[in-house]
Amino acid sequence: MSDSKNTILDFVAEGFQQGWKHIDASRLGEDQSLEADVVIIGSGAGGGNSAEILAQSGLNVIIVEEGPLQTSRDFHMKENEAYSNLYQESAGRQTKDRGIKIFQGRMVGGGTGINWTTSFRTPTETLKYWAEEMGVLGLSEKEMLPWFEWSEKRYNIQDWKVPPNANNSALETGCEKLGVSWGKIRRNVTGCLNLGYCGTGCPVNAKQSTLVTTIPGALKEGATLISKARAETFEIKNGKITELKCKAMTPRGNAPAVQTIKIKARHYVLAAGSIGSPAIILRSENKILNPYGLVGTRTFLHPVNISGAIMPFPVNGEYGAPQTSYSDHYIETRLDNQKSGFKMECPPLQPMLVATALNGHGKVHAEIMRQRPFLQVLIALQRDGFHPESIGGKVYLKSDGTPGLDYAVSGYVWDGIRDAFIAMSEIQFASGAKAVAPVHRDAELYHSLDKVKKAIASLPMATLKARLFSAHVMGGCPMGENAAKSVVNSKGRHHEVDNLSIFDGSVFPTSIAANPMESIFAVTAKFATELAKVLVM
Amino acid sequence: MLTRRKLFKLGAVSGVTLLTIETFHASLEIPPAPEGLGHSFEFLTPVDRGILSKITPVILAEALPESNEERVLAIKEVIVGWDIAVSGLQPLTQQEIRKLFLVMDSNFIFSLTPRLLTGVPGAWDDPSEIDDCLNNWRLSDPESLITGNELRIGYMGMVELTMASWYTNPRSWDFCSYGGPPVLF
Repeated sequence: MSDSKNTILDFVAEGFQQGWKHIDASRLGEDQSLEADVVIIGSGAGGGNSAEILAQSGLNVIIVEEGPLQTSRDFHMKENEAYSNLYQESAGRQTKDRGIKIFQGRMVGGGTGINWTTSFRTPTETLKYWAEEMGVLGLSEKEMLPWFEWSEKRYNIQDWKVPPNANNSALETGCEKLGVSWGKIRRNVTGCLNLGYCGTGCPVNAKQSTLVTTIPGALKEGATLISKARAETFEIKNGKITELKCKAMTPRGNAPAVQTIKIKARHYVLAAGSIGSPAIILRSENKILNPYGLVGTRTFLHPVNISGAIMPFPVNGEYGAPQTSYSDHYIETRLDNQKSGFKMECPPLQPMLVATALNGHGKVHAEIMRQRPFLQVLIALQRDGFHPESIGGKVYLKSDGTPGLDYAVSGYVWDGIRDAFIAMSEIQFASGAKAVAPVHRDAELYHSLDKVKKAIASLPMATLKARLFSAHVMGGCPMGENAAKSVVNSKGRHHEVDNLSIFDGSVFPTSIAANPMESIFAVTAKFATELAKVLVM
Repeated sequence: MLTRRKLFKLGAVSGVTLLTIETFHASLEIPPAPEGLGHSFEFLTPVDRGILSKITPVILAEALPESNEERVLAIKEVIVGWDIAVSGLQPLTQQEIRKLFLVMDSNFIFSLTPRLLTGVPGAWDDPSEIDDCLNNWRLSDPESLITGNELRIGYMGMVELTMASWYTNPRSWDFCSYGGPPVLF
């Protein structure tokens, strides 16, 4: 953690220098045995958020994080550094059939450290669906309101009043011309310099990730952070967890080392995300943790397809806040779930992200890269999990015990993806595009709306043909009041094992239908506050 | 990833045995590995580097510098970037990439596949043949009964790692008009 070039006050690094408790497990010389009131596995939106609440109520907290501790001075806005250090599987995580590439954070701060700061409350319709269809209690819009307000205050989620970059303004213009509804995205930033590098770790501590807010909050209360340690399994005795077993990671962080860390606690909080949390339960191989085999099921991704356009003006989408505008038109007009709804947003356009998302190679690819500054890109996120056919994926363990996700895109969602290709190209041509290319193996650059629509109508919607991505993994340990149909109750407490809670996005019984960070903040703040009351009694 | 078992299956289906593959292997010369610019390679073997030195210019095409000297240096740097990236991947993913190189080392794609599936004779020295092979992989049907989705996955992995290595290299940024990360102070 030393780079003289970045002279911005790095108060997180300073905090550690002044005595916040941190163990870098990759540097341990021998095995460790530790004790705490609560051990929290994961330090992202769920874990970091819960850590502060539990620590502030006087509990002795240990946070276990698989990724590295890096702070603002380590973030150099370089894609290669960031993707290999701060993302799961070096940003190369994929579903089992390789059909969907998954971007997930793996660092102290989790996804909040590398996400694009997009903040939405959980949509009303989603909360309603959970209550009416999924047996969730106590999370109505009215009951959640104070927790949204709490999250917005704690993470400084506010309207973003700076003009959008040209990538986002094209979305606004196109929607406006077509009479498609759109809105401005709220962001969790303080003193943001509008750089556009949220995805490589904020170099100026503007992004209010858990790394710069609630984790320091917990550490100030005396919590201990363990980085580069992989939580492996729970030990169970008499229906309760007696110990968490962890493995130290190697200094590079890509493989486990020999040292182990055993932690005994009164209560265990899983917050390792929708692939990581189910994995720890599955590895523990104890029937009581998974009596109905539901752990790892109903995992949702908001599968994302992409449409690229060549504009007659420079877009330079690598600079400026990456996501500031959105359209929910195709969610709002499809709430009857007859057709799969989708949200439209924009991604940042740094060269590696663009080059690896595009199709093909050679001359054709190079030609698009040459025109990169003129490239405008839209993404569409499918609202998965609200239809009997849209059952999501299943987390499984690979031969080395690391988790994978088997996610088959349903015909229902594929239809939504085709509709999204059309909707995105309409917006792009309406905002002045010279040509549009759906990111699909068999597609090319089309110079008119008629041509692209005709092409999309006959493009096969199939795995490894349409390129799909996900930055939102949700579900996998669904909540609900029926113990035979859910893993945790509506307070995030495991139905069978009394001293286990799950406080992260894996409890969502459907996708959120919006970027999930604020939903995770709000739901886990509620859960952690309720748990703290029980534990300090 | 393409396994030996599946290779064999393909061989059998096409009336070609593993023995033939081995014969081709022996008869074809793997291009010489470029030096590592002082980098000590952790993952890529000299054979892998030889293969990459031939595939890289086909994948990146005009995005590589025009002058021969700069071009050669760029290709070396792409290969070093590859090694750094793969060395940081999970052991299981590294194993898959190792298998991919084994398949290519067997001269499978650059000799047999074109012969069998496209009718083009294989050799390392003709970029257009390498391009044909890559396209053969790219356009392979993910639902193919013979190869399954493995050719398509192999293609995507190969191309993505090469693109990632080059487009994070500041030498590529002029070509794509990227000004680089903003200077803060």
